[in-house]
Amino acid sequence: MNENYIKIESKSRIENIAAIRVAITSFLSTLNIHFDELMDIKTALSEAVTNAIDHGYDEEDKEGKIIVESYIYDYEKVIIKIIDYGKGIEDINLAMTPAYTSKPETEHAGMGFTIMESFMDEVIIDSKVNEGTIITLTKTIRKKKSGK
Amino acid sequence: MKYNYADGKLTIFLQEEIDMNSCRILRGIIDGYIMKYQPYELVLDLSEVKFMDSSGIGLILGRYNLIKLLDSKMTIINASNSIRRLIELSNIKLECVQHE
Repeated sequence: MNENYIKIESKSRIENIAAIRVAITSFLSTLNIHFDELMDIKTALSEAVTNAIDHGYDEEDKEGKIIVESYIYDYEKVIIKIIDYGKGIEDINLAMTPAYTSKPETEHAGMGFTIMESFMDEVIIDSKVNEGTIITLTKTIRKKKSGK
Repeated sequence: MKYNYADGKLTIFLQEEIDMNSCRILRGIIDGYIMKYQPYELVLDLSEVKFMDSSGIGLILGRYNLIKLLDSKMTIINASNSIRRLIELSNIKLECVQHE
């Protein structure tokens, strides 16, 4: 099996979300992948990283750490792990409920997990309270660019 | 971000990437223009938006609620395929999304 990967470590700062998103998307764009499918992965990744930073850590905790690992297997299977060492998710089922948000005062749409599940093949949540959360996003590339 | 106001219609031209970070700034600016002009219609033009995630959905919903308070209407134009899918997924009853 052919494996390729890239790993990014970042402080849990909202202004870093764009950089992580662009770096991982750039890594995946080496694949024979349709633009729309790449955008789907980019959106799901953005949701997961935003969750890790916004919910994993308190706003004043700017020293939190986020790790994003992106793997490509056999040029078609993409696995992205988004790891934080923050507060963890107390009730995963509740967190995954569409339109639910733990921060209603902040104008969050509560759509993060719904988008991840719709845009990826598989979403695995591994979370322990006060230890952190690992989100694993998996997708097998289907659409290929034409002419290749 | 550019904007245009004419004859009661406020058009906001959103740009680049709309995520949690950019929403923090955009929210205040857009609401400032809404309160200043109190338009009968708010148009969000997304033609120059390269990326949007659910933070953008939150931004749209928030402005929609504000516009409803003013008894005005809101229209979203020029949403890309990806953004349109995101809006549909969010189950927002946005009768205001214009299909070309």
